[in-house]
Amino acid sequence: MNRKEIIEITKQKLKEKLNNADQKIINLAQIIEKVPNNINELYEQLRVITDQEYPTLDQSLTIKEYVLFYLLEEKNEKNIKNLNISEKNIKEIIKIKNSNVSIDLNKDIKEITLNLAKDILNLIETKEKMEFEIDKLLKENYVNAYHVATPKILCKMLEIAGSSKRLSRFPASTIQLLGSEKNFFKALKFNKNTPKYGVIFNHPLVISLPFKNKAKFSRTLAAKIAIAIKADITNNKIYEELDKTIKIKHSKLK
Amino acid sequence: MNKNLIIKDKLIFTKDLNSKKNREWNPFHSKVAAGIRKGIIPNINQDSKILYLGAAEGYTVSFISDLVENGVVYGIDISPYSMQKLVLLSEERENIIPILEDCNLVDEYKDLIKTKVDLIIQDVSQKNQIEILKKNAKLFLKEKGEIILSLKLSAISQKKINIIDRELKDLETDFRIIRKVRLEPFEKKHILVFAQKK
Repeated sequence: MNRKEIIEITKQKLKEKLNNADQKIINLAQIIEKVPNNINELYEQLRVITDQEYPTLDQSLTIKEYVLFYLLEEKNEKNIKNLNISEKNIKEIIKIKNSNVSIDLNKDIKEITLNLAKDILNLIETKEKMEFEIDKLLKENYVNAYHVATPKILCKMLEIAGSSKRLSRFPASTIQLLGSEKNFFKALKFNKNTPKYGVIFNHPLVISLPFKNKAKFSRTLAAKIAIAIKADITNNKIYEELDKTIKIKHSKLK
Repeated sequence: MNKNLIIKDKLIFTKDLNSKKNREWNPFHSKVAAGIRKGIIPNINQDSKILYLGAAEGYTVSFISDLVENGVVYGIDISPYSMQKLVLLSEERENIIPILEDCNLVDEYKDLIKTKVDLIIQDVSQKNQIEILKKNAKLFLKEKGEIILSLKLSAISQKKINIIDRELKDLETDFRIIRKVRLEPFEKKHILVFAQKK
C-alpha cells in the first residue's frame, strides 16, 4: 500500500474515533465531575464579602438562587419576585440589610463581587447545559441502558469500561462490581469477603431498599443492565419489559 | 555509526531532515536518547526501515526520521489525541507513516506494512509488553533484525519479586540479548534492552 493511502486511512479512523459518542460522553462526564468543586470554592469566597451586606441569606437557599438573588437585588427589586424565594424571606432579608447590623460596601468592591457572582452563574448554567447534552447523547445511543440504569450510573460505567463495546462484553457479575475494583482485589489478596456492589449502589432503586436486600437487588439490576447494553448495540428496544421485571423484584424486596 | 548522529560532550544531536541544521535530542524526554547516552547505539542506516510501537506524539520518531533519510519509520499508536500530532508531523517529514491501531491486534494492520523492517523499537508500558513484541517481530522483523525494548518495571508488577529476570527469560526464547542498561537518572524504573532475532 502507498504511503498516502495509509495516511488517509489513519485520518479516516481518527475522525471516526474522535466523533464517537462514547468519547464525547466520557469527556463531558469527566468535566462535570470537577465543575461543582470550582463552583463551591468560588461561592465560599463570594460569601466572605457578601455576608457583610446580607447576613441573613441562609444556607437553605441553593447556590444558584443565592447568586441570582444577589445579582437581581442590586439592579431592581421587582425582579426578585420572579424567583422561587418566598416573600417573607425577601422582606426579612431587606429589613436586616437596612438595619444597623449590616454594612454598605464600596463601589469598587461591589463591582468585584458582582463579577464573581456572574462567573458563578455562568459556571452553573454551563454545567446544566452539559448535563442536558449528556442526557441527549445517552438517550440517542443507549435507550435501554438509559432507562434501566440511570444516566449518571451509565456515564460512570462507560468511563470505567472505556467504551460501550467493551462494556457490552462484560458479564453481569462484573457490571455489579464496576467501581469497587480496589476493594475486590484487596479482599482476594487477604482472603476476606468480596464487595457486593460498586457504582450500582447509588441507583435510586437500590438506595430505597433496606440494607439486607440491597445486594440481592443489585445482582438482578446488574443482570438487566448487562442485557440492556447488549440490546443497545444490536438496536433493539426492550426497556419496557426489563423495567417491568425490575419493578416486580423491587416490590418483593421492599 | 550513522552520519546524521552526532555525539559531542555528552550531548546528542541529529541533522534535521529538512533544514540540515543540528537538533538536540533530550535524553530526559526520549528513552532511545537515554540509551545512546548509556552506550546502546543501534545500527540505523540511512535507508533502513523501522517500526516504532507506541509512537505517541512523535518526539522520538522525529529524531529517528532524521537518521533514516531514505528509509521509512512506521509509527503505531492507539490514542487518537496523540495521533493528531503524529499525522501533522508526518506531513512535514516524508519518511514517517502514522498508523492508528492497537499494537496488541496485529491482524488489524498487517496489510498496511508489507515490507519487513530492520529494527523494532517498543515503548508501550503494558503488562504483556514482551508478548506484544513477539507478535510484531514474528510478522514484521527481518531475520537477524534488531529490537530496542524499554521495559517499564512498575507497569508489569508492583510486587517485590525479581521481575527483570522473569521478563528477560521470556524474551530470550526468541531473541539473543546483546546489552541491557538501567536508564537512571534519565528515567526511573526503566530498563532498555538491545537484542537480536535468533
